[in-house]
Amino acid sequence: MRDIYLRLRGVGMTFEGQTGVDDGLKAWLTRRFIKDPAKPQRYRVEALKDINLDINQGERVGLMGLNGAGKSTLLKVMAGIYPPTAGGVERRGHICPMFEFATGFEMNQSGWDNIRVRGLLLGMSPKEVESKLPEIAEFTELGEFLSYPVRTYSTGMFIRLAFAVSTSINPEILLLDEVMGAGDIRFAEKAKKRMFEFMEQGKILVFSSHNADLLATFCKRTIWLDKGRVVADGPTAEVTEMYRSMAAQ
Amino acid sequence: MQAMPKLLGDSWQSLRVWRVWLFLGVQDIKARFRRSAIGPLWILLNMSLFVVGAGVLYGVMINQPMKILLPYLVAGFTLWGFIVSSLTESGWAFVNAEGYIKQFCYPKQIYLMRTLVSSTIILLITLPAIIPVQLFFRTFSIVGWLLALPGLLLLLLAVLGHITVCAYLGVRFRDLPHAANGILQVAFFVTPIMYPARLLQERHLAWIYQLNPFYYLLEVARHPILQGTLAAPETYAGAVLYILLVWLLAGLVAKSLDSRVVILL
Repeated sequence: MRDIYLRLRGVGMTFEGQTGVDDGLKAWLTRRFIKDPAKPQRYRVEALKDINLDINQGERVGLMGLNGAGKSTLLKVMAGIYPPTAGGVERRGHICPMFEFATGFEMNQSGWDNIRVRGLLLGMSPKEVESKLPEIAEFTELGEFLSYPVRTYSTGMFIRLAFAVSTSINPEILLLDEVMGAGDIRFAEKAKKRMFEFMEQGKILVFSSHNADLLATFCKRTIWLDKGRVVADGPTAEVTEMYRSMAAQ
Repeated sequence: MQAMPKLLGDSWQSLRVWRVWLFLGVQDIKARFRRSAIGPLWILLNMSLFVVGAGVLYGVMINQPMKILLPYLVAGFTLWGFIVSSLTESGWAFVNAEGYIKQFCYPKQIYLMRTLVSSTIILLITLPAIIPVQLFFRTFSIVGWLLALPGLLLLLLAVLGHITVCAYLGVRFRDLPHAANGILQVAFFVTPIMYPARLLQERHLAWIYQLNPFYYLLEVARHPILQGTLAAPETYAGAVLYILLVWLLAGLVAKSLDSRVVILL
């Protein structure tokens, strides 16, 4: 069997853009040909700075840090969704991202068809999707609602559907961004159980969480990010201890 | 990072996951007509009304026999619709897929192919509308339809180039589809669709279509269908030249915007 790994070398991610201007073609042409005295405000956010990481097969890694520390950005860079503006990412293995459950639906299509779309986009083959369809449908507990167009769904129903599809695949590299706590109390309990089983299956798991107990349960290794840099990278107990003492100050 | 190798690699991977974009494209069409009883027939119905109305009126005005004019109008109109949608609606190809692009790892080129699939399906629904008209006037020729295949293939390539350019630019300039719509309305009148190219020639205005790339794109498919013979070699050459230019532009646009799409969304 081939080795599965994630390698980040000198990864940096800088977002640049302008605020407060109309982004249309008209505005651009006006700026281009009529010298506009009001220069648009540029912004520059360094979301990640010089990240070097090696994550090998069998590792489960936790990500912690304050809001805006770069956890989600790092996960998206790992997934290949954000192209890093510096350095490079090497990945071997099928990536299964689980970032959001509330977006990415075809509003006018039925729940069934949305399950198919999500399944395909997560890398399942059409055959695989069809064979898992009953099991996914059962887990969502959406029953006849699955035949309705999803624009009639509530937020909770979207989450159930997306969660059920995402956790039905066989992940190699599993990237999770604070996706605990899906749905109502009854579903959350069920989801937690399934999530834990799912996380056990991943050959590599990287997940961000603010819950230190959860990190301790799943990860030997934890990375603490602050302002886009790796502050600490080591055994979970040590890193969470450092994090706690920092937060207490 | 080298933008070009990544772009080529992504595009290649996109082609390999054809099942995904084929499914998405077909679903788009199904969803579009789900709640109407006659479904895609609406497009046909709209077009027939327009063509019959315009055909009779124009036929009298420019003194053209219906036998020639009606099939000409249907063919020109359906092919033109295909070109227009590739330059307007496709500006939303990435914008509409925002939810997917931000959470799944497939290369975003699959959303270009999805757009190509759905607009090609529309073409495949409307194009056969020429057949009953041709049968009625006894001008139908199966050979002509076969000879149209290379032309249709060229058209498909041109449209994929259009989709690429517009999808990328549409992310940066959200009002692009509206701008394109306006320009294409003008283009519609200077392209021989409602009138034969000969009419311009007789008035020494041949340059209007000779310099119009859309004319070549239309002719490579339309001429064989209607006349039963291949179009003139220079028509094919014009179409190929235009496709090369569009693809060059598509490559440049994609190269400069590819890494920014997800950030601009």
